[in-house]
Formats: sequence, C-alpha cells, structure tokens
Amino acid sequence: MSRVILVVDDSPTMRGMVSHALTEAGFETKEAENGKDALIKLTMMEVGGTKPDVIVTDVNMPEMDGIELVREIRKLSAFKHVPVLVLTTDNTDEKKEIGRAAGATGWLVKPFDSELILKVIRKVLL
Amino acid sequence: MAMVVATATQESGQQQEIGAEGNQFLTFCLGDELYGIDILRVKEIKGYTAITKIPNMPSHIKGVLNLRGTIVPIIELRTKFGMATIDYTAFTVIIVVVVRDRIMGLVVDSVSDVVNIDKRDIHLPPEFGEKVDVSFLNGIGNSGGKLIALLEMERLLSDGDLQDTAAAVAA
Amino acid sequence: MNGDYSKFLQTFFEEVTEHLSVLESGLLTLEQNPNDVEVLNRIFRSVHTIKGAGPMFGFTTMSRFAHKVETLLDPLRNRKFSATRQIIDLLLESADCLNMLVEAAKNGTVIDENKTVLDLEARLETCMTVTAPAPGQKPALYPSSMAPAVPAPVTSTHQTYQISWKPGEDLFQRGLNPLKLFEEMGRLGTVTSCVLATSRLPDLADLNPEHCYLSWTYTLETDYPREDIESVFEFTAPPDGLTITALSSSSPAAQPPQEPDPEPARSVVDEEDDPRLAEVFFGQMSDSLGAILVEQKAVTPAQLAMALDHQETLRAKSKEKKVEASMRVDTEKVDKLVNLVGELAITQSMLSALGGHFEIKHLPILQERLLQLERNTQEIQERVMGIRMLPIGTAFNRFPRLVRDLSAKVGKNIQLLISGEETELDRSVIESIGDPLTHLLRNACDHGLESPEERVAAGKPAQCTIRLNAFHEGGKICITVEDDGRGLNRDKILAKAIEQRIITGNDTLSDDQVWALIFRPGFSTAEKLTDLSGRGVGMDVVKRNIEELSGIVTIKTVTGRGTIFTLKLPLTLAIIEGMTIRVGEDTYIVPLLSILESIRPKADMVKTLIGKGEVINVRGACYPIVRLYEVFNLQPEHKNPAEAILVILETEGERVGVMVDEILGQQQVVIKSIEENFRKVDGVAGATILGDGTVGLILDVRGLVKLARQEQSIAV
Repeated sequence: MSRVILVVDDSPTMRGMVSHALTEAGFETKEAENGKDALIKLTMMEVGGTKPDVIVTDVNMPEMDGIELVREIRKLSAFKHVPVLVLTTDNTDEKKEIGRAAGATGWLVKPFDSELILKVIRKVLL
Repeated sequence: MAMVVATATQESGQQQEIGAEGNQFLTFCLGDELYGIDILRVKEIKGYTAITKIPNMPSHIKGVLNLRGTIVPIIELRTKFGMATIDYTAFTVIIVVVVRDRIMGLVVDSVSDVVNIDKRDIHLPPEFGEKVDVSFLNGIGNSGGKLIALLEMERLLSDGDLQDTAAAVAA
Repeated sequence: MNGDYSKFLQTFFEEVTEHLSVLESGLLTLEQNPNDVEVLNRIFRSVHTIKGAGPMFGFTTMSRFAHKVETLLDPLRNRKFSATRQIIDLLLESADCLNMLVEAAKNGTVIDENKTVLDLEARLETCMTVTAPAPGQKPALYPSSMAPAVPAPVTSTHQTYQISWKPGEDLFQRGLNPLKLFEEMGRLGTVTSCVLATSRLPDLADLNPEHCYLSWTYTLETDYPREDIESVFEFTAPPDGLTITALSSSSPAAQPPQEPDPEPARSVVDEEDDPRLAEVFFGQMSDSLGAILVEQKAVTPAQLAMALDHQETLRAKSKEKKVEASMRVDTEKVDKLVNLVGELAITQSMLSALGGHFEIKHLPILQERLLQLERNTQEIQERVMGIRMLPIGTAFNRFPRLVRDLSAKVGKNIQLLISGEETELDRSVIESIGDPLTHLLRNACDHGLESPEERVAAGKPAQCTIRLNAFHEGGKICITVEDDGRGLNRDKILAKAIEQRIITGNDTLSDDQVWALIFRPGFSTAEKLTDLSGRGVGMDVVKRNIEELSGIVTIKTVTGRGTIFTLKLPLTLAIIEGMTIRVGEDTYIVPLLSILESIRPKADMVKTLIGKGEVINVRGACYPIVRLYEVFNLQPEHKNPAEAILVILETEGERVGVMVDEILGQQQVVIKSIEENFRKVDGVAGATILGDGTVGLILDVRGLVKLARQEQSIAV
C-alpha cells in the first residue's frame, strides 16, 4: 500500500511538478488549490477512513494561506500529528519560525529539486 | 499505357533508392492495368458514395466527401491519367490515402490484392519523352509475372491541383 | 528539477500569462483605489508565484526581476506606504518588462539585460528607500542547509561529535518523530554512546502524552562534516536546544547538556545565484539519433529523410498556429457536461432496448425517446460550445491601459467606459477580435476625438468618452465602439474617394455607401500620418479580420457628435446560421448574416443597365444580379430571373441579388474546413456535413461577388 501525500499549492504548475516528483518515487498524491480546499479534501479523506502520510503546502495562496492551514490542521484531532512541510521562497529564520510556531514539521525553500523534496519527505515520514 | 521493362543488368548503374517506400503495395485496377500504392499510405478503402462537386475545379477533381466528419477531396484517377471515364460499378471504390498530412481519396475501378514486391523486382519507369509524363511513377514492379505501376503519391497529388493553402490564399 | 519537467513548461506559461494579466489589471484598478489591500495582495501573490516558479525551469532573470518587484509590493500591501502615481507608473513599466521576459523565455531568445531590466531594477530599489532597513546579519537560529546546495567539498576527516538535543515540548505535535532523526543520524557513522535525560518528565498524573519531555546526548564517530549532522536536525531550533561539539578523537567523555550557543550564520546558496542555467529545449530527433538508427539498419536513409521532413513540417505547422493547443476550462462546465453525457447514455440504452423487440404499438414510446434524444444532444451541443466560451472581458483587458497611454501620447483627455465584459463568446473569436478593436480605438483616439480646446470651443465637455460595449442580440454577439468626437465628414471622404479614383464625381451614394468607403485599402483622410494611424492601412484590415470571423462591421456617425462602429459576430466560429438553397441538383448554404431578403421578382423588376449589366430593382434601389449557375458552372432549373428566386446579399457595403432555383430551408451548420485536406476554393467559405451525411458547401459571399465580376467583367 503506497503512501499518500497531499500537495497544496495555488499554482497548477507547482502542484503538477511536485506531484510528478512524488509519484515517480512511488507515492500516491492528492492535490488542493489552497488552504480551504485542502481542509475540504482532508475532511473527505477522514470520512473515507484514510489520511495523508505527509502534507506539503505552499505559503502564499488565496482564500487561506499555508501558515493558517497548518494551524487549522493542528486543531483537527485526526490530523494533529501528520507531518506538514511548508514550501517557501523565503529562507529567513523569521519565516521558518512562523512556520514552526504554527506547527509545521519542516520546510522546503523554493526552488528545490526532486531529490531534495524526496529526501525531506522520507525524513519526516513517520 | 504500354510499358517496357528494362532488365536489371542493363540498369545496374542506375539502380538508386526507390523512394522511402517499404515493399508492400495495395494494387488496384484501372481498365486492364494494374497500379500499386505503398500500403503505408493507405488509410482505408471505401465503397463509392455520393461526392459533392466543387465548382470550377479541374475535371480530375471530382469533389469532396465526408469521411467521419472530415472533408476529404476525391480524385478520379482515370481522368488524371487521361483515360476515358466509365460508369461506376459495384466494384468501384475509393482508396483513402494520406499524403503529407492530407487525407485524400482516389476513385478506382476496383482493388486487387496486397502484394509483396522485393526491391530487386522494382525497376525504374522507362523514359517516354515528353509524350507521356511518368514523373508520378515510382517504378514498375513485377509480382508473380504481373506488371504493376507503382505510384509516387506525393508527385501525383501535389502538382497544381492541390496547392498549399498558403499559396492559394496569397494568390 | 531533475527528470523531465518540460511538459510542465506549457502549464507554467499559461499560468504566468494569467498572472501577468492579473498584475496589469490590478495595477490599473490600484490607480483608482491606491489603498485597496485586496488588490495589492492579489498582485503580490501573482508576482510571488512568478518569482517562485521561474527558477524551477531555469528562468533566473525573470525570477530575479520578479523578486525586485515583489520587494516593492510587500511594504505596499503591508500599508507601509501608499501607492503614488509615480509608483504605479514604475510598476506598470515593470509589468511590461516582466511580459517581455516571459515572451523571451517562451521563444527561447536572449535579452540584452543591460538596457531595460537592470535599469528598472535600479529604479525599483531606489523607490524602496523609504521602507524598513534591510534585514541585518542576525545570528541564524536554524541550521540553514535547506537551500539547493552546491555540493560542498567533503572533508574526509574522522571526527567524534557529542550531540545534545533537547527538543521543545511541541515536537510530536509538529509531526516529528525523534526515532527517525536518530536513524538518520546513525547512518552518518557509528553511535558510540547514548544518554537519555528524563529530568523534565512530570508525574504520570500530570503527563501529557502529546508532549515531549525527553532529551538525548549521543556520541557519534563520523567521516561526514558537521553540516551533515546539523541537517539531520534542520527542523529543530530553540526552544529545541541542539548542541554539537567536536570531541578530540579519543575521548568520548559525556558532558552535561549545555544551553545551545547560536551557530554563526552559514552561507546559504542564494537562490538568485542558481548555477543551474537549464536551457529548455524540446525533445527533438537530432541527426545523431537518426544516424544511429540508419547504422543499425532500423531505418533506411530515405525513411529517415522522410521522417525528418515530416517533423519539420509539423514543427512549422505548430509554429504557425497561434491558437493555443490547450485551454483551461471551468470545472463546473465540465461537470455539467459529464452529467449530460450520462443522460445521453441512458437515453441511448433505452432506445436500444426498444429496438430489440420493436412492435408497431411501441411507436409512441419510440417517438418520445427520440424527442428525449434530441433534447439531450441539443443540450450537449450547447454545453460543449459553452466550454469554448469565455467572457469578452478577457479581450477588453488591455484596453484601459491602451487608452490611458494613447491619451497621454496625443495630449487629449480620454476616458474609456467598458460594459458587457461578462458577455461570452468563443475563445478563438476572442483571440482574433483584439487587433481590430485595438485599431478602432487607436483611430478614435488619434482622429475621431478632438483636443480639449476644440471640444470646449464646440461646447462639448473637455473630456472625451469612448464607450466599449458588448451584448448578445439575435443569436449574435454585438460589440460597439462609440466615441463622442467629430464624427465622419461626408464631404472629405467623397473628395478623397474621387481623388483616389474609387468613385467618379457623378456617382450618387447613400450615406452608408460613403461611410463604407473608409474600408477601402489605402484610404485615409488623415491630414498627417501619425505613428498611431493615418497610414490608411488599418480600416480595410479591420473589415477583413471581422469578415474572416464571419462577421460584419457597420458605421453610424453624426458630424460633430461622434461615431459608432458596430461589429456583429457569430457566437462561435464553428457554427453559423445558414439558408440552404438549390441550383439545379446542387445545394449550397448561404450565411444568414449576409442575407437581407429573398424575393421572387416580377419581370418588370429586372432590367439591364448600360455599363452595369443585369440589375434588379428593389423598391427603387438597383442591385446587380449574380447568376450563381454561371459562376459555378452548374445546370440550373431556371435561367429566367422572373422564374427563379433572388437572394439579396450584402457584402462590403454593396448589395447583390443571387439567382437560385429554390430556397430549401434554414439550419444551423457546423463549419468544417475544406483547406485542411484540400485547398481554398474561390467563392466557397467552408463545408458542412448535411443531415444525410453528404457534404454541403457554404458560400463565401465576398468571394462569390468577386468571381461574378471576373466572369462578367462589369464595373459594379
């Protein structure tokens, strides 16, 4: 049974590329366009009795941004402990701290290559 | 069209690559004569159906046909080769071919077999001088004793009548 | 990214194009409301996305420039300062520059950076001087090994490290599993000792199982550099205390865990210095591959030549096609379609069932099901057409900017009012409508509208108004460009036409015919050529463009008050309303848009005029008669106009009466291309598949009239 990763990004290009990198490595992926959409998808997964093994999310998105999404995820009992990776273009400690404080497991700085994202994913997979 | 076949030994110096065609041909009849088209070019064979005339076209262009939603021009080969036209029979078919991304149909008397002709059995068409234009012949093939005129589709269907759209628009 | 991501290139460009459009329209909105935070956020996000995705494809300049723009947008959206006109102008220029960079990226051309890009970057930076000082060199909290690393030289010294880690209580709540980190650490070398500290563990009653109270101290012998160990714990930082101390190789002395001392800032590979300047190239069969294939006798040289040739034509063809090969569609539209297709399938199986054991008593049911089928297919047809429909607003997008720039250039005060942006029409029409509309607007700004002084002198408001409107009417889409300028000058036009020998001084023309003159090639009454228009190459191209879309353009004007251009277009290029007519045994389809009326003439209505040939007199106006059977070499049923039917058609401001045997009916026809497999045919606009499966030809009215003239060689 393969692991499922939820990819959240409002840019279809980024979603597509991240998904591609992950599926090539044998993961199954689900996609969402922004925080709100992601929460809906998570709720559906919960109802269906599954949950993602990792969530990868962009920060800057309309409707609900990545940081808020992490906070919301941490409030849901079913997904409290799911590792969440935040994709950011900012390499500053400030941003990392904000992510960490919201409850993110880790982060990836754009641009990254598939090797890197796979390495990080493997690291945080519980 | 009378044909004289030169032997291989006489033409040894002139044996060149005969087109990029493979060696399977669909053969068909016009009157007593057998012609062949590279099987790779043939898309399908249709029974003859109603063709819509296009105004002010040369006589060998019969019109167009609906092929599952695509508009395909139909060429009367007898007329193209300067032969007399005959009434269509139950055997009259349209051979649908693909030439340079265009789909076209050729009206022929009847289709015959698909034959394999080895390259060694294909000879260059003889020169008849200006009287007969054989530029659209790829060669004369010999299959089981029968002579088959192998057609060079791109030459046959691209001189004048089927100009590039661009050229026609620019005109 | 390694691996083949070139297929995402197209999605990337589509996305970026949309974002650029959002950026421009957002900036224009911002001009009116400089404090609209929502717009600022939207613009920021768009630029941010371009900045982020660019490097994934190796577009470093684009990304770097976007970053500079973003740096200016950030304080704006955080209300650090307000957007002045100057700032917006700068941003608009930057948007143009981004546009240029994207285009260059698309076409693979190299830009001369020195000129535009660097200049704008400098100006953007200067604009930034009001904001907070640049982030100082604070000691890094986090080990910064996350950026795409240039492979660091591996120092292969054997070392022993003591690693003390005291994670924050929220470690588990962030989804981190310490065991995995230790495993990873262990892979770096040999763990020689491990000490667990439980000092923070509370009593069982007070223990929260979701908190982490433990800390660990490891000793690790490794050949790997310190950075690698740090990278294991990269997501941890104060309050996750991490200390890594190098021990002398032989003393694995355990030391009490200390407070972490901040590591000095590590150099991070700046994303702007990305050394991977990946060139994007599309898969091609290079000659070398071909040579290999030939060598291995997989193909003959001739086959190879043919294949390369074919590839060349395909490449040429795909370059020609400006229309995008993919498109984005509203998912809702697709969902509705999926439902409809489902319904269709049901109807089909019901019909199948009926056909299985059909008895005549089932006839009413059959009829009902067939009606249902008709409804299903009609609805599907509409919906599918709808998929290709977009609101015309997307074509109107660039006009506010255009008019703004133009009005500055010509020194007039012009406002553009747009309405009907939500009117939907076919994608391909939208793509083609931009140019003609642009020209009409340019014309209006340049010639049609007066300077403020002139207007005030004439008692008009100093500000000029252009109204751009779109609406559906009678199954067509109407677009009007209306200005409140000078209007067309009948005498000037006539004079020019006489001068260009288009008409003679003796001709009497109706107003409509006079206005139609401006559509003649080379015609212009402009006194001087400006570089906007006036060269006289515009209006005829506009007319031709519209007619190529199966539409018509008409003019109404009042001298001194203004002019209104009306474009009427079919909703989609692919479908038109047609009238089926018969000449002898042949049927043709005439586009309804061109038909004014059809009449069965009385003998006295038909006359022959010297110098004009056969004409038909319709309520005083005389129109030339075109005998379709002569032009197309057909066998008609009637050769006497009084026994036939005349269909009065309009094209290019002139009217003709086309003679046919019978009018069969009216129907919607789907236009199919004849040129795809054949060639363009004079007098024929396209073909369609009729109900009986045969091909019907659609008349090209303009071409037909031209042919007729050639046949009859009479000046009309």
